[in-house]
Amino acid sequence: MSVTTNETVTRSESQGPAPVKKPQRRGVFAGGQYIPYTLLLPAVVVLAGVLVYPIYKLIDLSFQNVNKFAYLAHPERASYIGFDGYSKVLGDGAFWDVILRSVYFTAELVILSMVLGMLLALLLNRVSAWVRITFFTVMMFVWAIPALVNGQVFRWMFSSNSGVVDYIAYLLTGDETWKHYDWFADSTVGLYVVGAAVVIWGALPFLVLGLYAALTQVPKELMEAAKLDGANNLQAFRHVTLPVIRPFLMISTALSFIWDFQVFAQIYSLRNASPESGYQTIGTYLYMHGVGSSQYSNASVISIVMILMMLAVLVYYIRQMLKIGANER
Amino acid sequence: MSDVLSTAPQTQPVPAPVKKAKKSKETEVGRSSAMTWVWNAVALFAALIMAFPIYWMIITTFKTNKDLIAQDPTFWPSTFSLDSYRTIFDDADFLPALRSTLFLTVGAVVLGVAVGFLAAVAVARFNFRGRSFFIVTMLVVQMVPLIAILIPLFVVMNNANMTGNLFGVILAYLVFTVPYVIWTLRSFIVNIPPELDEAAMVDGCTQWGAFFRVILPLTLPGLVTTAVYSWIQAWNEFIVASVLLNSGHTKTSMVWLTAYSSSPTRAADYGSQMAGGLLVSLPVIILFVFFQKKVSAGLTAGAVKG
Repeated sequence: MSVTTNETVTRSESQGPAPVKKPQRRGVFAGGQYIPYTLLLPAVVVLAGVLVYPIYKLIDLSFQNVNKFAYLAHPERASYIGFDGYSKVLGDGAFWDVILRSVYFTAELVILSMVLGMLLALLLNRVSAWVRITFFTVMMFVWAIPALVNGQVFRWMFSSNSGVVDYIAYLLTGDETWKHYDWFADSTVGLYVVGAAVVIWGALPFLVLGLYAALTQVPKELMEAAKLDGANNLQAFRHVTLPVIRPFLMISTALSFIWDFQVFAQIYSLRNASPESGYQTIGTYLYMHGVGSSQYSNASVISIVMILMMLAVLVYYIRQMLKIGANER
Repeated sequence: MSDVLSTAPQTQPVPAPVKKAKKSKETEVGRSSAMTWVWNAVALFAALIMAFPIYWMIITTFKTNKDLIAQDPTFWPSTFSLDSYRTIFDDADFLPALRSTLFLTVGAVVLGVAVGFLAAVAVARFNFRGRSFFIVTMLVVQMVPLIAILIPLFVVMNNANMTGNLFGVILAYLVFTVPYVIWTLRSFIVNIPPELDEAAMVDGCTQWGAFFRVILPLTLPGLVTTAVYSWIQAWNEFIVASVLLNSGHTKTSMVWLTAYSSSPTRAADYGSQMAGGLLVSLPVIILFVFFQKKVSAGLTAGAVKG
C-alpha cells in the first residue's frame, strides 16, 4: 500500500509543486528520506561482518594453502595456490564417496520422512479427537528435544551392551544373538538404519503437524463431491487433497532437503563426537576436515561445493518463494 | 480437477443436496465407527513408538547402576535413584555452562530481534532503492548452511580477537537470527495498514507515540514468535559455539554435553549422560510447551507467507 503512495509522491515532486499536499510517506514514518536506510543499517553492518565478509573469506581461503593452525598465527606463510586446492579435494576418491553417501542419505531421509509424515497426517485425520491430542502431545515433546540429545538417546538405545533395541529384538524373536548385536559395527547399517531413524524421528513432528494442518484446509464438500462423482480414495487424494496441500508440501520438502543435506548434530553425537569415515556425510566430513584437522583451505573448498549443490537444487524453490512474495504486495 | 472446483460451490446453496450431504456424512460416520477404532489403535501404536525414546531417556536417569549395566534392561527401574542427577550437579562445568548458555541465548535473541525488527520495518513499510535485492538476499542467505561458513567465520573472528568469549558467539549467531527475523516479521508488519497509525496521529499521537501504541503492539505476536524460535535455535546450537569457544574455558551447555559424553570416564555412563541431556534440554522443552502454537507458526510463517 505504502508502495504506491510513495511512487505517486516522487512523480508529483518531479513535475513541480503538487496541487494537493499529499503526505510524503504514510503512517508513523511520514517524512525523512533516509529512514529506511537508517533502519536497515544495523542489519546490513551485522550481516556484512558475520556473513558477507566470511563468504568472501571462504572463497579467498579456498585458493590458499592454509591447512594448518600455524598459518593462522603467521599469515605471511600462507600463499595463493590457485586451483590446486580444488584439484586436491576434488581428486580425492574419499570426497566423492562422501558426496555419493550424502546424496543417498539425503534422498532416503527426505523420501522416508515425507512419506511417513503424510501417512501419519492422513491417519490423524481419521482418528478420534482424544487420540489426536495424545499424538500431538507426544509430537511436541519429540520436537522439543535438541538434535544433539536425539543422537545421544539413540546411541544409548542401540548400544550393543544393555541396549534396549537389542533386548526388544530378542524378546520378539527369542534369538539370544540379538542381545549383543552391534548396530554400529557396519557403517551401512549404522548410518542408513540408526542414523536415518534419529533424523526422521526428530523431523516427523514438524512434518506431521504441518501436513495435518494443511489437510484440514481441504474442504469436506469437495471431498464428498469427488466421492459422489465416483472417485475412489486414491483418485480423491490425487485430485482433491493434493492440489490443496501442494504449497505446504513443496515448502516442507525443500526444508527437509535443506536440513537433511547438512545434517550434522544427530550423526555427530550418535557416534559420540568421532564419526568414522563410513558415517561421514558432507556436513560431518566438512567438520572433521575443517575443525578436526584444521585444514581450513580444504574445508573451504568442501563448503563451496556444498553451497553450490544446495543452491542448484533449491533454485526452483527460491523462484517459487519469490513469486509468492511478489504476489503478496 | 478444475471441474470439481468450479461445480462444488454451485451445488452448495441448494438446500436439498446439503441435507443429503449431511445424511451421507452420518452414514459415513456410522460405517467407519468400527474402522475408527482400528485407526485409533494404529495411531496410538505410532505415538507409543514416537514416545519411547523420550520415555527411555527419562527412565534411564532414575536407574541405579545395577539396572544400567544389567544384561536385560528393565522397562521400569527396580529402585529409583537420583544418583545420575547428583553426578551431573557435581560436575564443576555444568552450572557455569548453563549460565553462559543463558547469557548467550538472551544476548543473541535480544540483539537479533532488535536488529531484525528495524530492518523488517524498513522492508515492509518503505519503498527504497535496493529493496527487492535486499529481500532476495535475505531469502537466499537463509539457505546457506551454517556449517559451510563455519571455517571462515572462525578465521574472521580469530583475526578480530573474538574467539574464546561469548560476545563473539553472540555476534556469530546473528547470522541465522537476523535473516530469519527480517523475513518473518516482514509478513507481520506488511499486514498492519498504514491508516491505523495515521488515525492515531490524527487523534493526537506523536510519531513515536503512534509507533509504540499502534505498530509495536500489533507486531508483538510476531516478535514473540521470532524470539521464541531464535531462542530455541541459539540454545540448541553446537558447532559455532564449539569452534569459536575452542581455546577458552567457557562452554555452552551443548558443548559441555558433548565433552561430557565423550570423556573417557563418562562415555559408558548412560545414566548421567541422559540426565545431562535432559537437564540441558529442559529450558527448550518448557518453552515449547508454553509456546507450542507460536513455534509451529514461527517455522512456517517466514516460509509460507513469504
